[in-house]
Amino acid sequence: MNTKLRVSEISKIYPGCVANDGISLEFGSGKIYALLGENGAGKSTLVKILSGVVRPDKGEVFLNDKSIKLNSPLDAKKNNIGMVFQHFNLFETLSVFENLSIDSDKKNEDLRLSVNNILKKYNFKIDLDIPVLNLSAGQKQKVEIIRCLIRNPKVLIMDEPTSVLTEQETEDLFVSLKQFSDEGILIIYITHKLKEVLSLCDEVAVMRKGKIVSVSKTKEEKIETLANKMVGENLSSIKKKINNFKYSEEILKISNLNFRSDDPYETNLINLNFSLKKGECLGIAGISGNGQSELFQILSGEIITDYTSIKFRDKEISKLNPRERREYLMAFSPEDRISQAAVPELKIYENVALNNFKSSNFFEKGLVNEKKIKEHSKKILSNFSVNTDNVEMKSQFLSGGNLQKLIIGRELITSPELLVCFNPTWGLDVGAINYIHETLININEKGKSSILISTDNDELLKLSDRICVIYKGKLSKIMYVNEVTPEKLGILMGGGSID
Amino acid sequence: MSFDLNFIGILIGAIMASSVPLILAASGELITERSGVLNLGVEGMMIIGAISGFALMVITDNLFFAVLGSMISGLIISIIFGVLTQSLLTNHVATGLALTIFGIGMSAMIGKNFVGIPGKEFPLLFVNLKENIPFLGPIIFGHSVILYFAFLLPFLTNYFLRKTKIGLIIRAVGDSPTSASNQGINVTLVRYSCILYGGAMCGLAGAYLSLIYTPQWIENMTGGRGWIALALVVFATWSPIKVLIGALIFGGITILQLHMQAVGLRIPVQLLSALPYIMTIIVLVVISRDSRKIKLNTPTSLGQIFYKEK
Repeated sequence: MNTKLRVSEISKIYPGCVANDGISLEFGSGKIYALLGENGAGKSTLVKILSGVVRPDKGEVFLNDKSIKLNSPLDAKKNNIGMVFQHFNLFETLSVFENLSIDSDKKNEDLRLSVNNILKKYNFKIDLDIPVLNLSAGQKQKVEIIRCLIRNPKVLIMDEPTSVLTEQETEDLFVSLKQFSDEGILIIYITHKLKEVLSLCDEVAVMRKGKIVSVSKTKEEKIETLANKMVGENLSSIKKKINNFKYSEEILKISNLNFRSDDPYETNLINLNFSLKKGECLGIAGISGNGQSELFQILSGEIITDYTSIKFRDKEISKLNPRERREYLMAFSPEDRISQAAVPELKIYENVALNNFKSSNFFEKGLVNEKKIKEHSKKILSNFSVNTDNVEMKSQFLSGGNLQKLIIGRELITSPELLVCFNPTWGLDVGAINYIHETLININEKGKSSILISTDNDELLKLSDRICVIYKGKLSKIMYVNEVTPEKLGILMGGGSID
Repeated sequence: MSFDLNFIGILIGAIMASSVPLILAASGELITERSGVLNLGVEGMMIIGAISGFALMVITDNLFFAVLGSMISGLIISIIFGVLTQSLLTNHVATGLALTIFGIGMSAMIGKNFVGIPGKEFPLLFVNLKENIPFLGPIIFGHSVILYFAFLLPFLTNYFLRKTKIGLIIRAVGDSPTSASNQGINVTLVRYSCILYGGAMCGLAGAYLSLIYTPQWIENMTGGRGWIALALVVFATWSPIKVLIGALIFGGITILQLHMQAVGLRIPVQLLSALPYIMTIIVLVVISRDSRKIKLNTPTSLGQIFYKEK
């Protein structure tokens, strides 16, 4: 069965922004196509048009040379176009199985059978009867993929599917995707990760500012050529100076960190001990759901545990809340930008004000000092090259990269001694990742310390001075970055041991 | 002894009757809220149901039309809320409050000509059994068909929400309307349907008051029951069975404190009158403490305006 998908002269204009400008592309089954572009390049709009969520102002979509109308997601489903969205389209309070059954016409027993077959076939491990809100980001993504597979799609569109997966999971996913492709499913793979394009895809179309700027075979491309096409300028590559910090002063010492949760879906942390020197970056690797989020919350003071000792600049801070910890010059950038780090419905300056503590003087006698907050916010926007100078703008209109710059900027503008960040470049495009990486290296060079909890091994190897791996709530031994290889990390992340 | 038991039976029967309007209205509102719509117009829809039921009874002299008419009028007035919040995207809270004020005013206007007219006797079922079986008789038998329906309703609602496809879809819409819409679910249609159903149930609750419980028209006769129903839904953490428990406690303590007042206990009357409200909240808070369950039952998108990307 051969599938041919063609989009012709697709245009979509939003107020103040041309999202898609006369896009024409052709896809055929048996190949994996990459749609590459930075955030805001118009990939998501094109994908939403193909999945029936958004209607184009102009243009047509042809499936096997027949013009198809995609007025609603149902039309896309009817035409066997499956779609895995970047932002999960799941119902958090419903169980995994309920999520899958909601748009299925099958009987529950039949559905369970076919879901179990898919789980087995692709080696996914997910409990079908727990609520989705208890799943890790990686597992949620799998639920989305399963949801598409149930419907035997002809076309499968994957919107940034690996942003939450570990390297091993990504490899597994690629194997599955190649298998789907061999089975005759046409795969359109949207990403901004250049390495993935080269290792997975057969052809690549690059989008910039709503237009297709190039279509080529991936064999003929290299990372640099693709990056330059995507960004439209030459990117500088950054590198970190290696340092061993033998004689630096210790700034943070964690001993006896234990965390037991009654919630069976949280991970218990077992006897974590580590310390951090001034100017050092400690990387913590691991597959998502192995205790990273609990560790982050304990470091930030969202969770207070008994008996744990956290000594920061010679003061015991383990019983302090996040605000008090900020007074001691700690700073935190959580994993989920939209629901943890910022309130999307609030304006930029209001989000900045949320991070207040006593010395910030944002509030006087119980009143909001708006002028001061706005000035402070403007400074963040310009110092951290956020793509706007309008502090009155609602944060939800910032792209992921700009929102992350705002969040990191908000934390760093007070020159903290320690920054703890959790997946800081999750789902960002190359330009933004580059910027965030530069910023993180920069703070180490200024003699400030950082803890980087991340599921992205490239990022960890690039930014950390020392690295350890968290697995099922336990930390591996801490290694200097020059002793670490991706293979070693992979073994430790899977629960194995080295040497 | 048998007299005492029979008296307790009659008392329980009375408690059941007094909780019927709460169960009906709260069960309806529960479905509405489960789809993510917060309709604060329960009191208004109930009182419109009460006056239209009574008026239709007087005009047509037919109780079936009266009950049916009360449901339809509750439904019609909820359409106003639906159009405003779902099509014109107004704020749920403000619109609901306006609906209540509108309903109370409107019912008083229509009701002017119906004050002082005596009601018609509503047929009760199994009256023989009620009188011949001590204790259990007055509890189980001798009620109106609406009461039996009301006591079945929470269980039906529970089954509907948990086990049926449409129930699943309603919960999904209440959880995340955007995801639901992206899955091809017509969110606006689902929410409209839930609003209309809630309206019809509130209308029926009103009719129970004006046709059965106190068969006459009195201005403002719902007396805040709509607000209690709303509170029940929240304190019962959107669980139909807990709504039933809460309604029974509220009805029970209302009746009991009336008896205590009659006996002449030396407790201030005001305190006794406040007792049902306090006790209901305490009991429901105590039985709904499981924070995980609260998280899973609460419609995440409650009160949020949804509009579809075009």
